[in-house]
Amino acid sequence: MARNGRDGLHRALSEPWDLLIVDRMLPELDGLSLVQEVRHRSITTPVLFLTTLSGVDDRVTGLNAGADDYLVKPFSFAELLARVAALGRRLPTLAVETTLAVADLEVNLVERTVTRGGVHVELLPREFQLLVYLMKHADQTVTRAMLLENVWDVHFDPNTSVVETHISRLRGKIDRGQSTPLIHTLRGVGYTLRA
Amino acid sequence: MYATLTGVSFLVLFAVVFLSTTRFMRHQIDDSVANEIEEIFANSPDRSFDALRAAVDGLARHPSGFLYLLQDSRGAPRAGNLPPVDAKQGVREWRAASGQSHSAFSAVRGRGVTVDGGYLFVGWSTHQLLEMEEMIIESFAWGLAASIALALVGGLVMGGRLMQRIETISITSRSILGEDLRQRLPVTQTGDELDHLTGSINTMLDRIEGLMTGLRQVTTDIAHDLRTPLTRLRQRLELATRPDAAIEAVRATLGSSVTEVDTILNIFGALLRIAQIEGRTRRAAFLPVGLSDLMSTTAELYRSMADDNSQTLIETIEPSLMVKGERELLMQLFANLIENALRHSPRGSTVRVIAARFEDRVRVSIVDNGRGIPREERSKVLQRFYRLEASRTTVGNGLGLSLANAIAELHDTTLELSDADPGLCASVSFEASHHHEFE
Repeated sequence: MARNGRDGLHRALSEPWDLLIVDRMLPELDGLSLVQEVRHRSITTPVLFLTTLSGVDDRVTGLNAGADDYLVKPFSFAELLARVAALGRRLPTLAVETTLAVADLEVNLVERTVTRGGVHVELLPREFQLLVYLMKHADQTVTRAMLLENVWDVHFDPNTSVVETHISRLRGKIDRGQSTPLIHTLRGVGYTLRA
Repeated sequence: MYATLTGVSFLVLFAVVFLSTTRFMRHQIDDSVANEIEEIFANSPDRSFDALRAAVDGLARHPSGFLYLLQDSRGAPRAGNLPPVDAKQGVREWRAASGQSHSAFSAVRGRGVTVDGGYLFVGWSTHQLLEMEEMIIESFAWGLAASIALALVGGLVMGGRLMQRIETISITSRSILGEDLRQRLPVTQTGDELDHLTGSINTMLDRIEGLMTGLRQVTTDIAHDLRTPLTRLRQRLELATRPDAAIEAVRATLGSSVTEVDTILNIFGALLRIAQIEGRTRRAAFLPVGLSDLMSTTAELYRSMADDNSQTLIETIEPSLMVKGERELLMQLFANLIENALRHSPRGSTVRVIAARFEDRVRVSIVDNGRGIPREERSKVLQRFYRLEASRTTVGNGLGLSLANAIAELHDTTLELSDADPGLCASVSFEASHHHEFE
């Protein structure tokens, strides 16, 4: 960990890292410039911004500077962990995936079809999006906030059970009557899809 | 300065009048003189000196205003009513020195021609012309003096009045800012530029007063409305510090305290957002927004809340509606309105989400059939923390409509609240954007 922007940049550039967590407001060199410089040197290490600035412009600026995710303080530790895991796991795949599979659940992204154990499952568009996101982050914890941001493109918490309801419906279609449930709820944290 | 301008324009006018009038008159004289000479030549076909002499004699005998002179080559006058002059050709004019100014031939203009054996001159008195010249000059001189005097006086008077009014404005402004923000500058009824300026200053003072009142109110409201949850939090925590508190109870208390703190943080967050939005310049980087999709998604977010309360959420959204704005803020705006409608309507009620084209605008309305808001309170509910008496106990922090209002204003439109009879209709209308604008 570095305590100011200049040290941080130095360390970021001198060693290979799996993930950079950068506070936007840093003494000496601010976080935004640090990330811009890192990206300028063609370093593709994932970057997560932490900040008190919650405006849309602030997030867009941060993402444009080269960050991969943007977390507004205060946040729960579980939230941070989940996002760190999600970012750290990203594999640099150049090939475009056409199918995703976990256990006997298969999703064809091109045809937009879902089968479990060879049996076709009919999903509504939103349910499909939700499933795809869960599968892309299989074995990782996915928080409610992450789902709202990535599946609904909503960046505030509407304080409704929209996420729970959809997970519930998805579970009903994917897991009901199956020997192995794939969608799990982690109390107080989020959800995960794993065999 | 005005005096100089007046003077100069006067002089120009004078010069024009003077020159054109006198030139005209001289021209007249020249023409008639030329005609007369023609006549004389016509009456003396051989133009011999004697013939001319006879002609001139005859003409001079009948006073007609013309002045004639025929002199021989030695300069001796042989006919006519003028004393001898030097034999100059062409148009000429002379004026005697002031001592002799009243004799008939002291001011003459005419034309001289060399003839066989001498010199012929025909002319006309320029007395009248000279008198007129004098008169024009004199009257213009008086006029000039008068207008310069008027200009000077007028300038001083008006300038003085102007300075006085400006001084009044300065002094009054300073005293308003120093003491009483409610005062305004006096506006005369003349509607001139100074009045416009005064009007603008008064409008600015209105805004300043509004902002300061708002600020005072917000600070009071914040203190007031945040004390409640903070007090609750304190009480809970205090209970947990009792020596006989079981570990389970303590853990539960800590859990609920975190929730309570989150609530408080949310309130602060919302306040910050409202302040941020209110402080922004309008239309900074507005992008096209697919309103139809946005409304569908927003309604979807609240469907589960509606279901939980046995309420019905009906969407009537026209497809392909486009507006210019900030997607996230607009979503927050409509989310607040929908949430408001759901929370303040009883079980079993219906909330309608309507988005449609209306002339060249796009109108979004959230209509519920709940209690509604009485007319007098409709503008107040947009204030921060304002809760209707009847709603004091329902969940919510009273900031939803404030935020919605701030977002509407940022998008250069207004949040209109009206009676849905029964219930409330909250609507916002935007300028419709067109697809081809972003291709």
